[in-house]
Amino acid sequence: MLRKALLLLTLTAGLVLVVFAGIRNHRDRVRAAEAARANRVDLVKDNAPIVSPNVDESMRGKPAPNFSLVDLSGKKVTLADFKGHPLVLNFWGTYCDPCKIEMPWLEALSKKYAPQGFDVIGVTYDAEVGKAKISKATQELGVTYPILLSDSKIEDAYLNNVEVLPVSFWVDRNGKVVNVTAGLSDDDTKAKNALEAQVQQTIAAD
Amino acid sequence: MDEESPYLIETLTIMKSTVLILALFAAPIALTAPAQLGSLSSHAKPASYVAYTDLPQTVAANRRSTLEVHFRVLPGYHVNSHTPTEQFLIPTALTVPAAAGVKPGEPAYPAGQPYSFSFDPKNKLSVYAGDFIVKLPVTAAPGAHSIDASLRYQACNNASCFPPKTLPAKISFTAK
Repeated sequence: MLRKALLLLTLTAGLVLVVFAGIRNHRDRVRAAEAARANRVDLVKDNAPIVSPNVDESMRGKPAPNFSLVDLSGKKVTLADFKGHPLVLNFWGTYCDPCKIEMPWLEALSKKYAPQGFDVIGVTYDAEVGKAKISKATQELGVTYPILLSDSKIEDAYLNNVEVLPVSFWVDRNGKVVNVTAGLSDDDTKAKNALEAQVQQTIAAD
Repeated sequence: MDEESPYLIETLTIMKSTVLILALFAAPIALTAPAQLGSLSSHAKPASYVAYTDLPQTVAANRRSTLEVHFRVLPGYHVNSHTPTEQFLIPTALTVPAAAGVKPGEPAYPAGQPYSFSFDPKNKLSVYAGDFIVKLPVTAAPGAHSIDASLRYQACNNASCFPPKTLPAKISFTAK
C-alpha cells in the first residue's frame, strides 16, 4: 500500500514538474521573442549611438592631390582652378540619403562664405548612373556649386579604398588638407552647426 | 547503516524511473526552444553588410513550391527594402539565374520597416534590418539542385552610407 502511494506521489510530483517546466519554457520563449522584437525595433528606430565612420585621416596636414575631372556639362575642372581658395571636396552618391541631407546645407554655406573665397566642389561617387540622373538629383536638391564626375584616379588619391559616403576633404587656401570628415551626426541642427564650424576652420586655417 | 534495505532500493529505482520519464517529457520541450541563427554572421566577408546562409531545403518535385532564402543585415546597418520610398534609392533585389531542372518564379520580398535618420526625422524610409527572408517559388525536377542566386543591396548605418554590393547566395535544395 505504502509502495503504491509512494509511486503515485512520485509520478504526480514528476507530472507537476513537467507541466511547470513547460509553462516556464513557454514563458521564457515568449519573453525571448518579445526581447528580439524590441531589439529589432530599437535598431531601426535609431536609438543606437551614432556610428563614427571609419575614414582614412592620413591625408590630414598633407597637400591635397590635384585632380582633373569633368562636370555635368562636360567641362574639365581641376583642383588647380581653385588655387588660393579655401574649399571642401565633398564625395556623395545619388543613393546616399545623408549626402543629400547635407548638400543643401553646403549650398547655403557656399553662398554665405563666398565673400571669404570659400568654394564647395561636389564629386559624384556613383558617376556610372549617368549625367541625366545626377543632374535631376542635384536640381531637386537646389545645388548650384560644381558637381564633378568621379574617376578611379581621384578615388585612389583621396579615398584609399574607404567607401563611406558622404566624405569631405577640407582644403585651406594653401592647398593643404586641414580635416577629413564623414557621415552626419546627431540631429539636423547639430549636424548643420558642425558643418559650418568646419567651413570657418578651413577659412581661418593658414 | 551499512546495508541498504530492500524498501530503500525500491524507492531509488522508482525515483530513477521518474527521472527517466521526466527526461523523455522534457526533451521535446527543450527542442522547441527558439532556433539560434548565430552561424549566419560567420558568413560575413569584409566590407559586406549582409550575410547569407544556405539552409538545405526539401520541396515537392514537379510542383510549384517555395524556397526560403535567409539573409541577415549585420548589426548597426540597414538596407533599403525591395520597395524603397525614394526614386534614387537602390532596392534590395534577388537575381535568380536559370538552373538545370529548375523553373524559378518571381521572388517575394518582405515588407520594409520604417526608418528615419536622426538628422532627417520627417523622412520615412523603408528598410530591412536584422534577419529577413526572401521567398522564391520554384518548380523542380526530382533530385538535388542548386541555384547561384545573388542579392544586390545598398547599406547605410545611422550616420553614412556605403556603395551597393552584390552578395552571392547559392541556394541548395532537394526535390522529392
